[in-house]
Amino acid sequence: MFKLFKANLKMMVRNRQALFWSIAFPVIFIVIFGLFFGHDNTSSGTITIINKSKNEISIGVDRGITESKVFKITKIDSIDKAKSEIKKGKLSAAVYIPENFGVAGPDTTNKIKIYVDPASVQTSGVLRTITDKILTEASFKIQNVQPLFVTEQELINNNSKNNDFTYFDFVLVGILGLALMNGSIIGIAVSISKYREDKILKRIISTPLKTWKFVLAEVTSRLVLNLVQIALILSIGIYGFNGHINGNIFVVVMLSLLGGILFQLVGFTIASFAKTTDAAEGMAQAVSIPMMFLAGIFFPIDSLPTWLSNIVQYLPLAPLLRMMRTVAIEAGSPFANPANILIVLGWILITLTISLYKFRLTEE
Amino acid sequence: MKNTIEVTNLVKKYGNFAAVNDISFTVNRGEIFGLIGENGAGKTTTLEIIEGLRKATSGNIKILDLDLNKNLSEIKSKIGIQLQSSAYYRYLKLGEIIDLFASFYGQETNPKELLKQVGLEQKIDSFVNNLSGGQKQRFSIVASLINDPEIVFLDEPTTGLDPISRRHLWEIIAEIKKRNKTIILTTHYMEEAEILCDRIGIMDAGKIVAIDDTYKLIKHAKHPIRIKFIAKNIESLKTKLAGIGELSYIAGKEYHCELILNKQSELQKALKEIHAYKPDELTVSKATLEDVFIELTGRNITEEESV
Repeated sequence: MFKLFKANLKMMVRNRQALFWSIAFPVIFIVIFGLFFGHDNTSSGTITIINKSKNEISIGVDRGITESKVFKITKIDSIDKAKSEIKKGKLSAAVYIPENFGVAGPDTTNKIKIYVDPASVQTSGVLRTITDKILTEASFKIQNVQPLFVTEQELINNNSKNNDFTYFDFVLVGILGLALMNGSIIGIAVSISKYREDKILKRIISTPLKTWKFVLAEVTSRLVLNLVQIALILSIGIYGFNGHINGNIFVVVMLSLLGGILFQLVGFTIASFAKTTDAAEGMAQAVSIPMMFLAGIFFPIDSLPTWLSNIVQYLPLAPLLRMMRTVAIEAGSPFANPANILIVLGWILITLTISLYKFRLTEE
Repeated sequence: MKNTIEVTNLVKKYGNFAAVNDISFTVNRGEIFGLIGENGAGKTTTLEIIEGLRKATSGNIKILDLDLNKNLSEIKSKIGIQLQSSAYYRYLKLGEIIDLFASFYGQETNPKELLKQVGLEQKIDSFVNNLSGGQKQRFSIVASLINDPEIVFLDEPTTGLDPISRRHLWEIIAEIKKRNKTIILTTHYMEEAEILCDRIGIMDAGKIVAIDDTYKLIKHAKHPIRIKFIAKNIESLKTKLAGIGELSYIAGKEYHCELILNKQSELQKALKEIHAYKPDELTVSKATLEDVFIELTGRNITEEESV
């Protein structure tokens, strides 16, 4: 059994092209999403702040907007230049604080001007809200009054010390799931049916090798590949694009490997039904593509129509991602909702039984 | 223990179609037993049932006194199998494949020693895809010997090979027999079966239509002797030879004649008659396995290359 495990690894490494792509595929995904949603670029647009007045309030506004981290701030000196940048579409908005803002004297003004690109509706809306809020707070402070009504936000089910989590953190876990699902289901389904087509499988069945040993060697050797994929995705996501794993990263890796096992067994199940390699590939796609879009890789499944999310949440990928996110984002326990682990284990049991049973004979 | 394999009333049905239709035969220890027949006659199905790769619909199979249904795992460790046109792992070297398969039998083996038996010791670090057709076939035969089996199954071992490679393979198979192993092979080359096999079973449409020692099968051919000669104006000869045998032209070639005799004892008489016509070239030969095969199945074997 150990020899087969070693031989499988050897073959994996020698099949350079397949190895390269099974690693490149998740890396490409994580880089694309990282570029879109990673650290700096989580902003709602690029703006500039031109502060001609140097008093306490104007400096406060400047700092307040910058520290909100909502926007990417660039430095531009003159308002005319800023306007032309907006026209060229290189800038979404400019905040202009005139020289006479908030100074004591006859030509004082209490207005801060915001120039916006009409196309950047969202940026201008957010920018105005933030600026107004800062100014209101400043006004309260000067008048020495407390606001009468406030809101308070509390995250449910959250044990994390670090509360800032971004869409990228959400997608990072999703991409882990995607890479494991794609690589494992299609990889196993295709390679095993290729073995069947080449009669390698038949030749193996003619030896006294036990089926479970064969399956175990295939699954464990692929887990090594999965581990490399997981490590790459997590390190590129965390170090390259400022993603966060708030919970125990070891648990996240363990859950990912559990997912690897699950999807490999799904691949085995497909291979045991497919008569040809082409059929196996088609079946693997048919199983993984709906899950790719519906099981919560890119957006939470509650945004699906109710009837659909009722179905989707029982597919193997959805509960796995829920568990992984509970750990990765909320720093919770993977068993917080026992239904998740039960569904995953249930699928493992079903696919394992089918694989072991169907592989005993090559018959017809 | 004389019989190594004992098949009784074996039936394999796919729906209503009987691929193997109630056959019984035995294979003796240390012999080369051949199953011959057209493609689709049921040879490979029969073989794969005996190898435990397919389930029989009904019937009994005993191998080395073990019941196939009850002792499959033990039987698998005592037999070696070469499958029809099977491939091996693309990304493993020959030595590594042998090593790996030995581990499936829970054994250690010396890959170099094994490869030497088929003249492939230089190729121990090559991949299967870099071998020629003959080398691949030799490798698949040596792969069936990894567990030092008592019985070796060879399913069309020489299909698709050139005549030189084929003869080389015959030598290898004969060598295996010398090491006291029982061999069962299927083939659709009659010449090959005639040379290699001690005993032969002829299959047709799922049935065994004849089974005997190879030489006896040929001896009992309906026309045991054939005479080929070249002669002109032989119309009158036809009537003289009527009752002794049948005279015909070979493949429509004028003057190329063939006479098949019903009895060996008529040979002298037939030769005398033919000599009267002063033939150019004359050869007398025994019937071949192919003649017997055609007599029994009523058609010529169709050679399909399943490469």
